[in-house]
Amino acid sequence: MSAYLEVAGLQKNFGGLQALQDCSFAIAQGRITCLVGPNGAGKTTIFNVITGFLRPDAGHVVFCDRSLDGLTPQQVVHNGIARTFQNLRLFADLTALDNVMVGLPRQFAEEPLGAIFRPLHAARQQTKRREEARATLAHVGLADRADERVRNLSYGEQKLLTVARVLATGAELLLLDEPASGLSAGALDSIMALLRRLQNEGKTLLVVEHNTRVVQQIADDVLFLHQGHLMAQGTPQQIIADPALAEIYFGGAI
Amino acid sequence: MDFWFSYITLAEIYVLLGLSTNLLVGIVGIFSVSQAAVFGVGAYIVAHFLLAAEPMSFLPALGIAAVCCVLLNVLVTLPALRVSGDYFVVTSFGIQLLATAVFTNWTAGTGGANGLPGIPPPDLFNHPLESTGELTLLCTAGAALGCLAFYLIMRAPFGRLLRAIREDESAVAAAGKNVLRAKVSAAALAGAFAGVAGGLYATFLSFIDPSSFDLDASILLLTMVVVGGARTLAGSIIGPFLLLALPQVLTLLDIPTTIAASMRQLLYGLLLILFMMFRPQGLAGEKL
Amino acid sequence: MLWLQLLVNGLETGCALGVVAISFSLIYATTKIFHVAHAGIYTMGGYLAWWLVTLGVPFLVALLFAVAACTAGGALIQSQLYARLERRGATHLVILIASLGTLAVMQNIIAAVFTPNILQFPIPWASNVVVLGGSVRLTWAQLLTIAVSLAAYFAVMWFAHYTILGKRIRAVASNPFLAQITRLRPQSVYVIVVAIASAIVALPGVLVPLDLGLQPYGGITPLLTATIAMIAGGVGSLTGAFVLSIAIAELQNLSLLVMPGEWSIGITFFIFVIFMLFRPTGLFAAR
Repeated sequence: MSAYLEVAGLQKNFGGLQALQDCSFAIAQGRITCLVGPNGAGKTTIFNVITGFLRPDAGHVVFCDRSLDGLTPQQVVHNGIARTFQNLRLFADLTALDNVMVGLPRQFAEEPLGAIFRPLHAARQQTKRREEARATLAHVGLADRADERVRNLSYGEQKLLTVARVLATGAELLLLDEPASGLSAGALDSIMALLRRLQNEGKTLLVVEHNTRVVQQIADDVLFLHQGHLMAQGTPQQIIADPALAEIYFGGAI
Repeated sequence: MDFWFSYITLAEIYVLLGLSTNLLVGIVGIFSVSQAAVFGVGAYIVAHFLLAAEPMSFLPALGIAAVCCVLLNVLVTLPALRVSGDYFVVTSFGIQLLATAVFTNWTAGTGGANGLPGIPPPDLFNHPLESTGELTLLCTAGAALGCLAFYLIMRAPFGRLLRAIREDESAVAAAGKNVLRAKVSAAALAGAFAGVAGGLYATFLSFIDPSSFDLDASILLLTMVVVGGARTLAGSIIGPFLLLALPQVLTLLDIPTTIAASMRQLLYGLLLILFMMFRPQGLAGEKL
Repeated sequence: MLWLQLLVNGLETGCALGVVAISFSLIYATTKIFHVAHAGIYTMGGYLAWWLVTLGVPFLVALLFAVAACTAGGALIQSQLYARLERRGATHLVILIASLGTLAVMQNIIAAVFTPNILQFPIPWASNVVVLGGSVRLTWAQLLTIAVSLAAYFAVMWFAHYTILGKRIRAVASNPFLAQITRLRPQSVYVIVVAIASAIVALPGVLVPLDLGLQPYGGITPLLTATIAMIAGGVGSLTGAFVLSIAIAELQNLSLLVMPGEWSIGITFFIFVIFMLFRPTGLFAAR
């Protein structure tokens, strides 16, 4: 049986820096897999390759037996994979609701002709989709902040919003780039609870994370990356307990 | 009275151009100095059909002009948008210079540097609109429809998509949307507006020549959007009305006619610099 | 032989264009700003030299003065306009518009002061003809242009690769962020680069009108052609820009065999479209 998402032999060189070196791994459906490793290990690069933002020098990405090689980012989303960004990249001058609505697929009047020639239909459709978006925001716990501009949201709320935006796309595999970084204890718990809720609803999550507490609490599997290569794979307990890995990660056992 | 009608009618035609330029420059964020070229294409096409041995009725000619300008904009923006924004600057300058060369040298089609005189007034359903009042009404209708279309687009998902694209294209792609298609659609729409404006211009002035559609004219259009304000309906209306009144104000300053044109263009350039430095949102717009 | 003459003329135009291209390339590769006002600096240089010559100043002195004035002008635009806008977080588009405004201001001041008519340099020796190889005719102005342009190219290449300042500029150009956080201080480098590039562009700015005459709006077409050469040659490659300038000039000249001169802009543009469609990074892209 082939894996849900399979990454094989990825190579990527940036002007002399080997970011990915024969990187291969597979993740199973319905699990929360955490991608860990020291800075520069290539974690965000892998996200960029999987989601079509970067073309690898070599290697393949296969999702549900479909090849993702050479697809554009929007095509990857249509295939069922959506990602967040480490630096959020929300639309600052739009409201939280609008941010989510940008992600909703197959909207009417997302091109000028429908907007001009069928304005009433467009308005009715928008109202419907707006309710969908509100529901998504409620799902991540931002129901009462829906009409706020992003620049007025707290960092924790913005992080929740990035998750809401990928949820809106309807993707079943979510790639989350450091969803918990920079959060206070309370916001951290909210996010972790959200991630587990999403898993229960059938989503598969691949999460880049530095926070070992988060990894321990939510991960089913852990992939340890080092110098662009998969160094180790196992349960959180196995990975965290390994002194050799700790040496690489922290520069000394913890 | 006729003077006021003239001013208002011209301003309304330029409102359509303002909407067009605002779509391209203000909303999509493309630097365009070729708006006047597209305007010119629309004007010459309508003039051609109205002056033909078997003259076409106004609205079909306008339709053809609009379609041609849509195609022109799509053809121009599609390859340029696939590479970086600065390449579009080159493309835009090239289009404008090329268009001026065509308008000036293709004498058979455009009358060359002497232009096309004697363009007949528009006819709506076999009724020619000959009085200034009727022409003003026509242009008011055109401008109003343009404003309505603009308003509808901006409050539709398309408008939101464009605003998001202006903020962060990659994030929009990551949300599963086709950024290129949205930009090209906006450019196509801008072309339609400019083409219609061109048709109205040709029939209102009854004479067109290349000097109305050159680089200086494109700079004027840019200045209208910068001064009026980017990305808003109000800005697209205020800019043209204000900037078209400016030459009248300048005549009060008793500037010798030999340098009047240069002074006008100098003023536009100055306005561009000053507004970018001190008020990038223009009078009634959002920050560029 | 007509085509040989056209080829030699193309070499002359191409060399001059090449200098415009490498000067623009220096600015664009380093500051990432598409400095359209560069066309204004180019034009300003020519008119200043002409004005001085009509006052009786020797040509060489006028040329040097023009170079100095352009250097100052370019540095002023970068430090007072672009740098300020960047400090305020202006977008690329805003800076472009400001640059366009500056160009319009410069061109129209020149048009108002000197009239929009074509002006010729009152320098008799410039139009004296030299005959090469029995059939090819070149004026002294044209010969001077070729010589000075080639000298400028080699000077810039030497500067970029063998001097400390040149290497610093290349470092800033290849990684402005890194330059910001190390001690390279990009903003001061930017002013230096624009100053140097403006100095260089004054040369064709004076020499080309020596041959063809001055026109206030005559800077845009050379600039446009030069930027196309820069892009086709690969941004960051000075040699690419220079070589492609000559290539485009030759193609333009040879096209005169088959079509009228007013359409030469079409040739240039056609080349650009081809590159956009098939090789947007250019032929010799650096990095």
